Amino acid sequence: MKNVFSRRSFLSTGAAGLGLGASGLWPKLAHAQTTANLQLSWLHSAQFAGSYIAMDRGFWSDAGLEVGLLQGGPNAPVEPPVVSGTALVGISAADYTAAAVEQGAPFKILGVAMQKNPFVVASLPDNPVNAPADLVGKRIGMALANTPVLQALCSLNGVDINGIEIVPTQYSAQPLLAGEVDCLLCWETDLPVAMAMQGVESVTMLMADHGYAVHSQTYIATEDSLATRRADLVALMSGEVRGWEAYREDTAAAAALTVEMFPDAGLDLATQELQAERQVPLMFSDLTDENGFGSWTDEAVAANIETLALLGRTVTPDLWDRSILDEVHGA
Amino acid sequence: MTALQATLSAPGSQARRSLPAILGLVGVFLIWELAARAFEDAFVLAGPSDVLAYLMANQALMGRALMVTLSNAAIGFVLGNLAAVLLALIALLWPRSESVVTGLALFVFCLPLVATGPILRVFFGPGEWPQILLAALAVYYTTLIPLLVGLRAAPATWFDLVRSYGRGRFAALFHVRMMASLPYFVAGLQIAAPAAFLGAMVGEFTGAERGMGVLTIRAMRALDVDMTWALASVATAVAILVYLVIGWLARLVLSDAPPVILAAPRASVSGRAAVWKSTVNIALTVGVVLGVWWGALAVLDVSPFFAKGPADVFDALFLAPDAATTRATLGSALIDTSVLLLPGYFAGLLAGAGLAMLVVLVPALTGIAMTLSIALRSVPIVTTAPLVVLLAGRGAVGTIVLVAVMVFFPTFVACLHGLRQAPGQVMDVLHSYAAGPILQLIRVRIPAMLPAFFAAARMSVPASVLAVTVVEWLATGNGIGSLMAVSASLSDYDMLWSSVVLVSLLSSLGYAAVGAIESRVLRIYAPEQLA
Repeated sequence: MKNVFSRRSFLSTGAAGLGLGASGLWPKLAHAQTTANLQLSWLHSAQFAGSYIAMDRGFWSDAGLEVGLLQGGPNAPVEPPVVSGTALVGISAADYTAAAVEQGAPFKILGVAMQKNPFVVASLPDNPVNAPADLVGKRIGMALANTPVLQALCSLNGVDINGIEIVPTQYSAQPLLAGEVDCLLCWETDLPVAMAMQGVESVTMLMADHGYAVHSQTYIATEDSLATRRADLVALMSGEVRGWEAYREDTAAAAALTVEMFPDAGLDLATQELQAERQVPLMFSDLTDENGFGSWTDEAVAANIETLALLGRTVTPDLWDRSILDEVHGA
Repeated sequence: MTALQATLSAPGSQARRSLPAILGLVGVFLIWELAARAFEDAFVLAGPSDVLAYLMANQALMGRALMVTLSNAAIGFVLGNLAAVLLALIALLWPRSESVVTGLALFVFCLPLVATGPILRVFFGPGEWPQILLAALAVYYTTLIPLLVGLRAAPATWFDLVRSYGRGRFAALFHVRMMASLPYFVAGLQIAAPAAFLGAMVGEFTGAERGMGVLTIRAMRALDVDMTWALASVATAVAILVYLVIGWLARLVLSDAPPVILAAPRASVSGRAAVWKSTVNIALTVGVVLGVWWGALAVLDVSPFFAKGPADVFDALFLAPDAATTRATLGSALIDTSVLLLPGYFAGLLAGAGLAMLVVLVPALTGIAMTLSIALRSVPIVTTAPLVVLLAGRGAVGTIVLVAVMVFFPTFVACLHGLRQAPGQVMDVLHSYAAGPILQLIRVRIPAMLPAFFAAARMSVPASVLAVTVVEWLATGNGIGSLMAVSASLSDYDMLWSSVVLVSLLSSLGYAAVGAIESRVLRIYAPEQLA
C-alpha cells in the first residue's frame, strides 16, 4: 500500500518540485498534512476501492489530509475505534450504527455508500428463491444472529417465518453447494461472487427490492468530530466522493488497483473485477446522479426508520447529518 | 523426556520404530488424498496434491504471510513463557502468594479470545500488538502449570542435602527445583507452540493487515478450498516442526533420568482450617481481579462506551431494568454451551490418557500417534470446523469432537510424559518379579502419571472453553461464543463484558473442582505435589 502510494506521490511531488525548482523554490511539502484514519468494515477488497483511488490519486493529500485506511475483519467492530478517536470516520451500516447509538455512542451518519442494502437470499437455479414467498418450505443457511433480518423481510412481505427452516451455518457458500440448505442469507457481493468464480451461477433475490431498506456502508463520525474537525471530515468525504465517482467510470481499473495495492491480501483479479462490477447498482442510482455520491432522500430515511423498527431499533431522522456532504457537493 | 526423545534416543530401536511411523504417515496422506477426491463436490477438503500445487503456485504470498504470523507467534511465545516463568518463581519464593498468582493467571487465561481480541485492538490500535498478546495469552498458562508441578518434583532428600550445606531457599531453587522442573517446562513449551500460532492467527481476525489468519478468512469466504487447506497444512507443518525443535533442544540439555520421588503421605490439614484458608485465598483472588480490572480501566482512560468496569457489569446483571432479560439470555447461552463442552472435555481427557497408555504398551506406535496428535491439535480449528461439521453433522457431535481434539493433545503429551516418569528402581523390582507390561502400567506407571494427568485436566478446562467458544463463534452460531460475537457487533458491551466475566468465572470454578479431586487423589499417590 505504502509503496504504491509513495511512488505515485513521489512522481507528482517530483514534477511539482521541478516546476517550482525552476523559479528558485524547492518546497518540502505542498501542505502541512494532518492525519486521519478511516476504519473499514472488512478486509481490503474492491468493497473499498473508491477509497483506494482517493489515496492513489492524492485526492486527500492534495487537500492536506493524510488518511490511513484501517482494515476490518470478522472480530473487528468498527464503532469502538471511532468512539475512541483512533479513527475519524468508520464504515458502518444503519442497523449497527442505530444499535451503537442506543448504547450511548454519539454517532451521525455523514454519507451512504450503499443506497441499497446488499443482503440477498442466494439460491441455485434449479430450486430458486425469486420472491420472499418462495422461502416457505425452504431450508435457509445463515447465522442465527441474523434472524431479525429474516424476520423483518417476512413481516414486510406477509410471509410466515415459521414456514422457513433456519439452519445455523458458518458464513460460506459451502452448505448450499453441498445441498445441506436450499438458500443462503448473504451479501450480493461476496458468496454469490465466490460461487460464480467456482463456475456456479446462482439466483439472488435482493432484499432491498422487497422492502428491506437499511442503508449500508454508511460513513459514521462522532458529534464531537463534527463540531471540532469539520475541515478534516469535509476533506475526507470529498476524497471519498471523488474516489467513488472515478471508481464508477472504470470498475476494472479500480479492481486492478485494489489487487496492486494489497499484494499480501491474497486477492484474485477476476474475483475483484466481478465484485466491483456487482456493487455498482447498489451504490449508484438516478438519485446519486442528481445529488452526488453518498447522498440520500428524506423518503429513504423514513423507509430506513420503518425497517429498523422491525429490527427492534428506534431511531430518529437526525441520525443522518447532511451538513458535511452539502459542503462537499457545494464546494 | 518426550515421546520423540524416547523414540530417537535409543539408537538400536530407531529403525525398528520409525518404519511403522513412516508407513503410517504414508497411509495418512493416502487416506487424505482419497477422502479429498471422494468429497470433491462438497467444497470442504483439498487433498495433498491440490495443496502442493497451490503452494508451488503461491510461494511468495504464503511465505510473506507465514513470516508475519510466525514472528508474531514467536514474540508472543517468548513473552508468554517469560511471564509463566516469572509467575512460577513468584509463587515458589513467596508461597503465600501462590493461590492468588495462579488464580489471577487462571482468570486472565480464561478470558475468551472472541472478546479479548477486539478489546486489545481498541487499546493498541493498528499494528501487531493484539496478535502478539493473544499468542502470549494463549501460552503462558499451559507453561505455568507444568512448571509449578515440575518445581516441586524433587525428592525431599535433595532438599535435605541443600539444607545440610546451610543453604537456603534460593539455593534449593537454583540447584534442585529448576533442574527438576526442566522436563515439565519442556512439556509445557511443546504444548504452547501450536497454541501460540493459533492465538496469533485468531488475533489477525481483529483487523490485522496481513498474515495467515487474514488469508484464511479470505480463502474461506471465497470458497477457495485449495488455499484454505494449504494454509492449514502450512500451519500444521510449522507447529510440528517447532514441536520437534523444542524436543531436540531439550535432548541437548536434559541428560539425567528424572529422580525417584518417594514421599511419605502428609498428615492432612484439619478440615476447618483448610476451608478457612481456601476461603481467604478465593476472596483475595477475587479482590485482586476486581482491583486490576478497575485499575486498568482507570489508568488506560478508555471510553466507557465499550470499556465496562465491575460496577457496570454488576449494574447490567442485577440493577438495570432489563437485568432479568440479560441474565436469562446469558443463562440459556451458557446452558447451550455446557451441553457441548462437558462431553467434549471428558472425551478428550479419556482419549488422551488412553492413547498415552496404549503407546507405552506398544512403543512402536509412538511416532505415528505423536505426529497424528500434533497434527490434529495444530490444524487451526477455523479450517477443520466445516469438515467436522460435514462428517458429524451440524448437530452437537461436531462441536463435541472439536472440543475433544483441543483437550486431547495436552492430555496425551502430559500423560505420556508422566507414564515415562515411573521410577527406574521401582520398575526394576517389578522386572525382577517378571511382572508384565500391563501390571507395570497399573502398579507403577499410572500412579506416576497422575500428577501430570491432573495438571493436564486442569489446563484443559480453559482450553476446552476456548475451543467451544471459537467453534460457536465461527461455525455453529450457538451458545455463549456466538452471543459474545453478536454483542460486540451490536455494541452491546454490557452483555459482552458480562459474558466475559461469567465465562472466566465458570472456567475458574471448573478448574477449582478438578483441583479438589486432584488433591484427594494425589494425597495418596504423589504427596510431594501438595507441599
